[in-house]
Amino acid sequence: MAVYVQTKPTTIAEKLADETWRRKFLRNVLIPWIFICPLLIIHLYVVAIPAVQGVYMSLTDWTGVGMNVNFVGLDNYYELFFEDETFGKALGNNIIWMAFFLTVPFIMALFCAAMLAQVKRGGMLYRSILFIPYVLASVVTTTIWKNLLNPQRGIGAAVDNLLGLEDVFGVAFLGRPDSALMSIAFIDNWHFWGFLMILFLASMQSIPPVLYDAAKIDGANRWDEFRHVTLPGIRPTLLFMYMMVAIWSFLAFDYIFLLTQGGPGGASEVIATQLYKNAFFRFQAGYGAAQGVVISIFAGFIIMIFVTLRRRGWDI
Amino acid sequence: MKRFKLLFVVAALIMALAPVGAQDVTTVTMWFGEGSTLDCWGPIMLEFNDVDPSVQLEIVPQADTWNVTRTAVAGGGGPDIVRTPGPSFVYEMAQAGLILPMDAFADEMGWGDFFFDWALDLGLVDGQLYSLSDELETLVMYYNVEVFEANGWTPPDTMDELNALAEEVEAAGLTVFSHGNASWRPTNEHFVGEYWTQVAGPHKVYQALSGEIPWTDESLVGAIELLDAHMQAGWYGGGVDLYFTNDGVYRRTSLAEGSAAMNIEGSWAIRGTVDYFNESGQTWDWVPVPSHDGTDYYTIGMGNTSSINANSQHPQAAAQFLTWYFSPATQGKMLTSCLKGPAPVAIGEDVMAELDPRIARLYAELSDASANDRYGYTTWTFWPPKSDVYIYEEVERVWTGEITAMEYSEGLQELFAEELAAGDIPPIPTR
Repeated sequence: MAVYVQTKPTTIAEKLADETWRRKFLRNVLIPWIFICPLLIIHLYVVAIPAVQGVYMSLTDWTGVGMNVNFVGLDNYYELFFEDETFGKALGNNIIWMAFFLTVPFIMALFCAAMLAQVKRGGMLYRSILFIPYVLASVVTTTIWKNLLNPQRGIGAAVDNLLGLEDVFGVAFLGRPDSALMSIAFIDNWHFWGFLMILFLASMQSIPPVLYDAAKIDGANRWDEFRHVTLPGIRPTLLFMYMMVAIWSFLAFDYIFLLTQGGPGGASEVIATQLYKNAFFRFQAGYGAAQGVVISIFAGFIIMIFVTLRRRGWDI
Repeated sequence: MKRFKLLFVVAALIMALAPVGAQDVTTVTMWFGEGSTLDCWGPIMLEFNDVDPSVQLEIVPQADTWNVTRTAVAGGGGPDIVRTPGPSFVYEMAQAGLILPMDAFADEMGWGDFFFDWALDLGLVDGQLYSLSDELETLVMYYNVEVFEANGWTPPDTMDELNALAEEVEAAGLTVFSHGNASWRPTNEHFVGEYWTQVAGPHKVYQALSGEIPWTDESLVGAIELLDAHMQAGWYGGGVDLYFTNDGVYRRTSLAEGSAAMNIEGSWAIRGTVDYFNESGQTWDWVPVPSHDGTDYYTIGMGNTSSINANSQHPQAAAQFLTWYFSPATQGKMLTSCLKGPAPVAIGEDVMAELDPRIARLYAELSDASANDRYGYTTWTFWPPKSDVYIYEEVERVWTGEITAMEYSEGLQELFAEELAAGDIPPIPTR
């Protein structure tokens, strides 16, 4: 009696001859790749290739017009870090911006989300109201606030008129070097923090209520509940948003450009606004590309910190 | 067989008629910024389509014309007519081979017959003509006539008279100049350029532009110091911080309604000035910007330029359109209908007679000044790009007290010397 022994195909020829293997290959390898291929090609075309080109351009003196390009090595980076004083100032402003956005909106969003999580009736209305600024276009938001903060026809001027005062509240917040950057951060935060609050609220609502019950039985007050149940419960969301906000801080551009274009006297200049001016006004696209690469390196550094923490067992 | 014959006849007819529609008409494309300017200019420019039915103009409105054009042209596309914001942009495009030299068209179509001689020179890059200047500009001092009459003031001729007048204006509780840069930060360069010209004199500016003297020359630094002093005194918009928050609406309304007495602004602002004063019911007029010795100096600038795309399939037709567009007749019509600053071409006296006398006087005086060595230079037309950005960005640091006028001038000198050595300076009319 002949005994049929099924052996596992080892060579490519054997594998191709084996129908089971062919089906598995088709289902588990080929079809997923066929589906992902269009996206991969688009990604390569619009992200990966331009990114590599950007790195190359940062090593050239490209003006941004035509293709007359000369390789200059690391000259642009040398100028950026050792000769261009305004870059240091812009970088400092980016760090101030990041410090602001890693504290103020997070505190506001956590506080409000914790309060709203307790609201049973009308909660949706509150959420919607607080979220509305986020869906407004930056051009709309900046136009509104430019008028509100206008020292001659804004809120401050109205208060001065009401109280019979002269130039007490009608301060040119966007026109003073000492207040311009923080005023823009305030306006950007007005639009942004509602988004953060909604994320935290959604995360808080996924915490099992039984944990709060157990905490109450153990005698925890509201602060203890927040500290020992809520915060650990939303930690993945919280830390992920920390990472994203840190990265976004280096990309800050639209609100600053629309409100002060980096002025007065460079007081609100950040790397992205400098990059834009170098590339499009000064015909220094190669130099601007170097600034873009530096921003990417900062973002990569922030991601690396979070990846390291994750590898060390942090729940991110 | 009958069906085959019928098909053959139809196909032959299509082939015979197709060239009439597709090949006999050449379409020239032009991209233009959306908005009220296009609303007025557009219908006049499209009148070109009646001149020669075989060449038709197509205007494509764009939101951010220059950046869209630059990207498209660099990518091998874009419109046939390439409009740039000024000569320094032309220089970069010509160096990159993105626009065509137009000398042959200029000779063939007689552009030299109607353009002023110096105006065609502004479009030269390495000795070849690459662009035509579209809008002749200058800066003057507008003032509110009712405010001046009510207070018994007369417009100043000299900087000393301006000083005396400014004290009286402030004593009357008014703002001296209705200014601010919140809408357009490069507004700063208008004043830097004017003070250099009016205080140090256009010859000094010419020497510095030619590299004969540095920007740290005492007279040029003195001009920046004077501008800073006026800024600190609150002449410009009521104070340095207010200057940074005052927008275009403030600029126009405060002058037209009489809360500010004067305004140093470009000839391009005439249209807006007329509109706002019509609304307020008050009267405007202008005088030259006061100078140190009372001479009427006018800085000359160019608002936009037109060139022919190197990728254009129809450069001849594009040149045909440019010939029509820059003709004194078309420019005159755009001046009278839209108050468009005319290209530097000889516009007939009959056209000027149709204009508001104040506007006609402005262009007559400008023409006289350019012919009699009383012209200066606007920064956006005659300075290379990096120096130009430096001029309007870094001067804010002088006004905010971060650096001195001398430090500002030293920074400019360093940058300008680099650009001068690299040959990046736009063509400067010789004196």
